[in-house]
Amino acid sequence: MHLLGRAPVIRRGGRWHTQFPAMSSSAATGTYSPAAEAGGKRREKREELRRHLAEDADWPRADNRSFHECREAFLRTGATTAASGSAYAEFGKTKVIVSVFGPRESKKAMMYSDVGRLNCNVSYTTFATPVRGQVIILELIIVLASITKGDLPIIISCASLALADAGIMMYDLVTSVSVNIIIDPTSDEEAWQDGSLMVSYMPSRKEITQLTLTGEWTDGKITNAVELCMDACSKLCDILRNHLKETANLASE
Amino acid sequence: MSDQQGEDQTLERPNRLRYGRFFLLLRCPRDGVVAMRDLQLSLNQTQRVRLEAALHELQALAPAAASAAAVTVADTIPVNQEDNILKGHGTLDRDGEVVATLCGVVERVNKLVYVRTLRARYKPEVGDIIVGRVIEIAPKRWRLEINFGQDAVLMLSSMNLPDGIQRRRTAVDELNMRTIFEENDVVCAEVRGFQHDGSLHLQARSQKYGKLERGQLLTVPPYLVKRRKQHFHHLEQYDVDLILGCNGFIWVGEHVVVSDSEKTSKMEDQKPRIELETFTPLETRKHICRLANAIRVLSALGFTLTVELIIETAEASASSNIEINDMLGAEFYVQTAEREAKRRADLLKKGGAR
Amino acid sequence: MVGLSEGEKHFIRGGIAQDIRTDGRKRLQFRALSVETGVIPQANGSARVRLGGTEVIASVKAELGKPSILHPDKGKVNIFVDCSPTAEPTFEGRGSEELSAELSVALQRCLLGGKSGAGAAIDLSSLIVVDGKVCWDLYIDGLVISSDGNLLDALAAAIKVALSDTGIPKVTVSVSTASDEPEVDVSDEEFLQFDTSSVPVIITLTKVGRQYIVDATSEEESQMSSAVSVSVNRHGHVCGLTKRGGAGLDPTVIFDMISVAKHVSQQFITLLDSEIAAAQAEE
Repeated sequence: MHLLGRAPVIRRGGRWHTQFPAMSSSAATGTYSPAAEAGGKRREKREELRRHLAEDADWPRADNRSFHECREAFLRTGATTAASGSAYAEFGKTKVIVSVFGPRESKKAMMYSDVGRLNCNVSYTTFATPVRGQVIILELIIVLASITKGDLPIIISCASLALADAGIMMYDLVTSVSVNIIIDPTSDEEAWQDGSLMVSYMPSRKEITQLTLTGEWTDGKITNAVELCMDACSKLCDILRNHLKETANLASE
Repeated sequence: MSDQQGEDQTLERPNRLRYGRFFLLLRCPRDGVVAMRDLQLSLNQTQRVRLEAALHELQALAPAAASAAAVTVADTIPVNQEDNILKGHGTLDRDGEVVATLCGVVERVNKLVYVRTLRARYKPEVGDIIVGRVIEIAPKRWRLEINFGQDAVLMLSSMNLPDGIQRRRTAVDELNMRTIFEENDVVCAEVRGFQHDGSLHLQARSQKYGKLERGQLLTVPPYLVKRRKQHFHHLEQYDVDLILGCNGFIWVGEHVVVSDSEKTSKMEDQKPRIELETFTPLETRKHICRLANAIRVLSALGFTLTVELIIETAEASASSNIEINDMLGAEFYVQTAEREAKRRADLLKKGGAR
Repeated sequence: MVGLSEGEKHFIRGGIAQDIRTDGRKRLQFRALSVETGVIPQANGSARVRLGGTEVIASVKAELGKPSILHPDKGKVNIFVDCSPTAEPTFEGRGSEELSAELSVALQRCLLGGKSGAGAAIDLSSLIVVDGKVCWDLYIDGLVISSDGNLLDALAAAIKVALSDTGIPKVTVSVSTASDEPEVDVSDEEFLQFDTSSVPVIITLTKVGRQYIVDATSEEESQMSSAVSVSVNRHGHVCGLTKRGGAGLDPTVIFDMISVAKHVSQQFITLLDSEIAAAQAEE
């Protein structure tokens, strides 16, 4: 049952051309401190990344990825037994466990209501830097076992897998991808981003369910980035879909 | 800014109209009501002067007797101790003196002395026509929020059934209560009275009462709505229904034709109509919004709401080509205050001539 | 929370479709805006913004602090929002926690920009006093006093006004030879003004039916399917974006909303600027 999903490799014609502002590094003062040293190293690394970007070369990223390539994804449902549905996802070094509890009657229900509630709780394990969730009608417990930043989209994708595993009615599998200037950033890359954008998308309904953006963006950049993310989301969704089908087949056999 | 400067400014200009909360003290001549409302407006210099002048005039028009009867908490109410007076609502005996425990106007009925509050919540009286909102469906009854200290109760047996037939209420009727009114519905009804257990009961035994749809509900302080013969107004020229609930809930909505026999069939066709999203006709909607904004302006100025005044205000805005939304702007407030001051002055002159 | 009957909801939706909302506004029209500065004397800068029935206060406090190890060349900005129980009884106790957190996160996202500082409302490097040692920490607090919809836009506007009202005390640094720690002398007479020209405003487009509206009242908000908040600066650049509401949106609709928000924002910034000028003249 341990199925390895292939990482979606996304390549598009256009590439990000990003102008970086001149570094305002008023390089550390003469005094020595370990912190300053670390800062210096980080700065060097950033400079290197920037140089690469400026040259517009398809340089390998820290984890040997190309620009528009997502991290390798490993997905699996039924990670925990107590929950009504669960999923485990590994995107590179980010590892996420999502458990779904419920549906059950809301204790808070004071009034007649025609809508349910989805309570989410995210916790980071102490050793990684963990996620725990709670749903009034549905309880979603997410445990992030190992963290590199840029984990929210992964949690979202993994949660939709877990919900599907729990047999909850859904409109579609929601997948999510974030983009900085490069797709699917690791924490190092996120540290020097100029802006980030995250898209959650229901591919078969062609609807964006969440869109967040920070940093300064021009229209063209937003359009490109959103399209790039939507494309990545569709591909990721196909992987989730295939995985669910295969598990279903295994179960029926 | 130092305190010193601040004080100077206040001395110069007692009311910092442009941004501060500005309290209006108005006295209506007819019923001697002292009304206080806070108004938040961005006025320019001229508008401020004009508004102050209008308010000053309104104040001057009020009869002196009205302000004498007004008391605030802990004020002594002058009484003749030999009359064996009865101390009513809002009064207290303190060292042989009668003092007020409420802000309002002293009323004397024979030996009874009581204080009628001005800015309290609605106090129901039997026969009041009110507008309320359903908050709960309980066995055989609906609970309604009517801006009173407790929820009002409308019994299933106190209202006409949609089929219009007078009969015993069955268990089926009880199950179908939600098809008559559901939670959050706006309902018009009449105050039936307090029951022995202290709960307030309503009734809706006529086709004119019932659910209100396709319009907007406005909330104003209840004292601005005076009890009158007529609370339902069908404004034919606008095709609008205006219901001035005694509890300060005012309904402005599209006119609904009420006919006893066709009520059932009509209620049934309304459902699919809503789903097809046939909206209120544009002209009617404009009238509804204009009337609603007239009510908003009048209530913010603290004027008693009568159907005539509402129509007059709405017409005045339309005839001077003021956009519906601009009615909520400072200029129209000032104009409305000026118009009302003039109207009351004229009224007083006529009264004096007679 | 507003409870509305089916009839009222239908009336609101109809008004939005016909471009006359319940108070007579058009879809892209704001309610009356009023601005007051310097409302909290203890703060370095403060503002009260009223947008129809919505009223918020923003205050900016500056305290000297130590820059983080990660960004020795930058000051820090914290944004918190609190919803007062005066606005709604349900905000009592922990009732407003969820809403306050949502608003805080949205404001942080829209005002603090990317990690490198691009698109940020405040240039963090301007808050540095001594590199790696002393910096200004800005505490931006938003308080919702009365809530009738469109809280996010009102809060962002209040923060923009409060920042333009903010004076940061002038500091003189003297490095004494004895210790490594610099001595900082804070002036209580001279203040430096912020450059607030790049502070964005937030325009929330609330989608009701097929149309979207600006400055929704809480009654209108109860009818929304989703809402997109776009923060736009004076140059028309998008500096942040968040979406609320359960319904998904077609990508083309989002792009359309972004361009509408950009257009509306320029008018709103101009209006806000003139109000700021008037408020400061009043003071």
